Amino acid sequence: MNVSAADIRSVFNVPDAAVAGPSQIKKPTTTVRKPEGMPRELYALIGPSTPALSAQLAKPRLKQKPNFGGIAPRTKWHVSILLSQYFVISYSSDRELRTFKNPARKGDLELRHWEKAGTDSAADYPFAKYDVQPNSYQYSLDEYTRLLEDRDWTKEETDYLLSVVKEYDSRWYIVHDRYNFPGGPERTLEDLKDRYCSVCRKLIRNRPWAGDDASKTLLISSYQFDKEREVTRKKYLKSLEDRTPDQIAEEEALYVEVKRLEQNERRFKRDRENLLRTLAGIDSGLPDIVEDDPLPLAILEGSKTKTKKTKGVAEAESPATPAATPAPTVKKPIKSAAYDAQHCIIRTETPSAAIATKAAHQPAYLRSFKLPAPKAAIAPKVTQALAELGISHTRLVMPTRENALLLDSLIEATTTLVETKRAYDKAEYEIQVLKNRLGVREKSQPAEGTEGKVEGSAGMGVDDVQVGKEAEETEGEDGRAQSILSARSGGRSRKHARRSMSISSVDTVSTRANNKRQKRN
Amino acid sequence: MVNYGGDEVSALVVDIGASSVRTGYAGDDCPKAIIPTSYGYHPAPPDADVTMGDGVENIDPVNKSKFANIYIGQSGPSIWREGMEVGNPVVEGLIQDFNPIKPLIDHALDKIMRVHSSEHPILVTEPTWNTPANRERMAEIMFEEFNVPAFYIANTGVLNAFAAGKGSALVIDVGQSMASVTPVVDGFVLRKGLSHSPLPKLIHAHARHILISPTPHRRGIELLPHQLIANKTLVDAGAPPKFTIRQDRIAGTTESWRIWAETREVDEWVQSVAGVLDQGWNDTVAAQRTTRQYEFPTGYNNYFGIERFQVGEQLFTHSPQLVASNPNLPKTIPQLITEALRACDPELRQVLMGNVVLTGGGTLFSGFADRLTAELTRSFPHTKIHAPGNPVERRYGGWLGGSILASLGTFHQLWISKEEWQEHGKPIVGQRCIH
Repeated sequence: MNVSAADIRSVFNVPDAAVAGPSQIKKPTTTVRKPEGMPRELYALIGPSTPALSAQLAKPRLKQKPNFGGIAPRTKWHVSILLSQYFVISYSSDRELRTFKNPARKGDLELRHWEKAGTDSAADYPFAKYDVQPNSYQYSLDEYTRLLEDRDWTKEETDYLLSVVKEYDSRWYIVHDRYNFPGGPERTLEDLKDRYCSVCRKLIRNRPWAGDDASKTLLISSYQFDKEREVTRKKYLKSLEDRTPDQIAEEEALYVEVKRLEQNERRFKRDRENLLRTLAGIDSGLPDIVEDDPLPLAILEGSKTKTKKTKGVAEAESPATPAATPAPTVKKPIKSAAYDAQHCIIRTETPSAAIATKAAHQPAYLRSFKLPAPKAAIAPKVTQALAELGISHTRLVMPTRENALLLDSLIEATTTLVETKRAYDKAEYEIQVLKNRLGVREKSQPAEGTEGKVEGSAGMGVDDVQVGKEAEETEGEDGRAQSILSARSGGRSRKHARRSMSISSVDTVSTRANNKRQKRN
Repeated sequence: MVNYGGDEVSALVVDIGASSVRTGYAGDDCPKAIIPTSYGYHPAPPDADVTMGDGVENIDPVNKSKFANIYIGQSGPSIWREGMEVGNPVVEGLIQDFNPIKPLIDHALDKIMRVHSSEHPILVTEPTWNTPANRERMAEIMFEEFNVPAFYIANTGVLNAFAAGKGSALVIDVGQSMASVTPVVDGFVLRKGLSHSPLPKLIHAHARHILISPTPHRRGIELLPHQLIANKTLVDAGAPPKFTIRQDRIAGTTESWRIWAETREVDEWVQSVAGVLDQGWNDTVAAQRTTRQYEFPTGYNNYFGIERFQVGEQLFTHSPQLVASNPNLPKTIPQLITEALRACDPELRQVLMGNVVLTGGGTLFSGFADRLTAELTRSFPHTKIHAPGNPVERRYGGWLGGSILASLGTFHQLWISKEEWQEHGKPIVGQRCIH
């Protein structure tokens, strides 16, 4: 392969390996050793470029075999014992068969096992330390009569109980299984445990205590046993187990149904929120919908708290919106009026009906989006009248509340003015018409008195026409803007378009066009 | 070996079952000597001389009254001898006849393992339903006749749980004569939860019935053992067998030996072909399964299909007509489990069902574990069954548990020593062996 690569180089007149790519690293010299554990054939195939593989191929490291002095593996001991019955075997091993005594035993049984020869033969048996006797309580007759009398239990049975508990090391299932007091009533596991624990508690409480109080209460609490609770718990377990397959299936189906509903509800809510956000702007500070019907199932508890939590989060996150926000969260006690004044906070009354339906909901908004506008019909005239004064009502540099109010009154005044003018013009026009008719009639019998008046009105008329032209132009301009608007907003009403964030930019574009035109004027 | 808590004192473990006696060293993974529990004997005539023949055990004076000769081991009952009776000391898992126990254990320890019982502590197993009198008798035999330095008797349920490495388990043990379900908690048997029934006997009887009764497709099968057949010729499947009986032996064959031999033929057939449908009984499924060929000693051979599964099905359900004809049927495995669990604390049930241990040769029916899983998961979704795949571990689980227990360092304080036996007598067995 190397050769063929060199051939290619020579054919293409490529200078030799110096600048060749990383794929043409010189073949490693023979000093690289075959990794251990890899078969020679495999190494010949894959070469030395397999560090990960060789690591895997390395011999698995087994646990070290115990060293028995190199002579007798464990399994041969039996054989040696066997043989030692018939032959005398001398062991050169460093292990020797020794008898030992187990201190955990009472008698003096001596068993034999193999031990290292060098070790101390008098040492304690290493397993004796596991023989731990459980702490058990004894009581005198006097103590019993003073403290432990119980209607249900005789002293004999209590004695028996304590002995059984000691025997089986407080393994209660076993104690209950083996408990068989002749002549005694049938006892449940809880009965036994309750009696035993109460006996122990009373004994500890009434005996002199060497240690501190904390350890005493700790010990007492270790014998705490709530029988009622245990019985209820067991009953519950039993009832859980006694469910028929149908019941289990039904339960499961219900659970799945609940989960599904829950999910649906969550999806609905999310969709609704998204929709409202789209409609009302991103900072709408939507409160969550109040669930009108809390679900009765306890399983839902978790999800309910969750919705509550999200609600709380929404409240916390809702931005410090301007005063106009009708969010119910910013309700502050009245005493903060001074605070409000100091911080220029102005509050508006929230709508009393707090139910947030789509219709009633009024999201947070920027005041500049809600600047008062003249009525659509006469808007061009108002705009024109204001433009004559060098005022643009669509752009308020500082839309404070006062300014907005002022603008509002200005527009109102202008509107009134325009309307008055229109009424006046109408009346004038009628007068004109009537006069003309009169003039036609007076051709037969001319009258001089009205001539001057007509002239004056004619002057006004020219003016009027001019105004009308202007208005038409404005209308046309505005109409174009409108059409763009409608094209972009997909037929949304103008009002909505104003409220929507994305559309409002278009709106501003159109108004800007208006302004430009006005400036040109 | 302190790391593993083991300390070997070269103890021996003796596990006596209905089909075999297992003995071996504690610490080993399988028994050294496995001999059949059944033994052959010539009954002693009231005042006849004892003749010592080939393969005859030494007979001590105690047994002289009953057996003239006793034949034990692999060449015991399975070798035909004129007038030889066959006996089995174990009835329903309990030792009923202690006469042959000493020769049996002697044979295993002395003849096969070649050990002196007086040098080794011995751990013996017992079923949970063993009687106190029985275990005391066993202790007596061990101390008085085998002269052991120390003795302990442990419960097979607990030992099977130990063999599976569990302290708490629900041990399902199907042996040759008894099926039992034993709840074990913390190394102790819950005696109230124990349930057992002679179900394997019924299965055996059923299999025998299937074999000997003629069907439309074949005639009844003769269960003659090979010891009674002189020669046979190869025949096609289903064809009538061609063989010659050893007429010379017929007269000298005893009834008990014939029953023993026939039982063996049936058992061999069951062990070779019988299985369990893993998803409950279904005629079409059973018919679809592959058939298996089996040849009897007579040379008769055939393919067995649906019959294979009818046998195994008896472990789980009884057919309605059988129930109608016999109200006292032994309980099936699911019934035994239900009964055992009902007696247990509700809290324990889940623990036990998570640690089901299958043991005993009777659970080696093919498909048994799968079927049991299917049955149990219906009511306990978290069932986990421990079923050793190694047949030796499955069949000798009790011995294996004993081997583990008797090689633990912490166990050695529990041995009943000879001294204690002499001091306290029989009651010490009940006091010490409390599992």
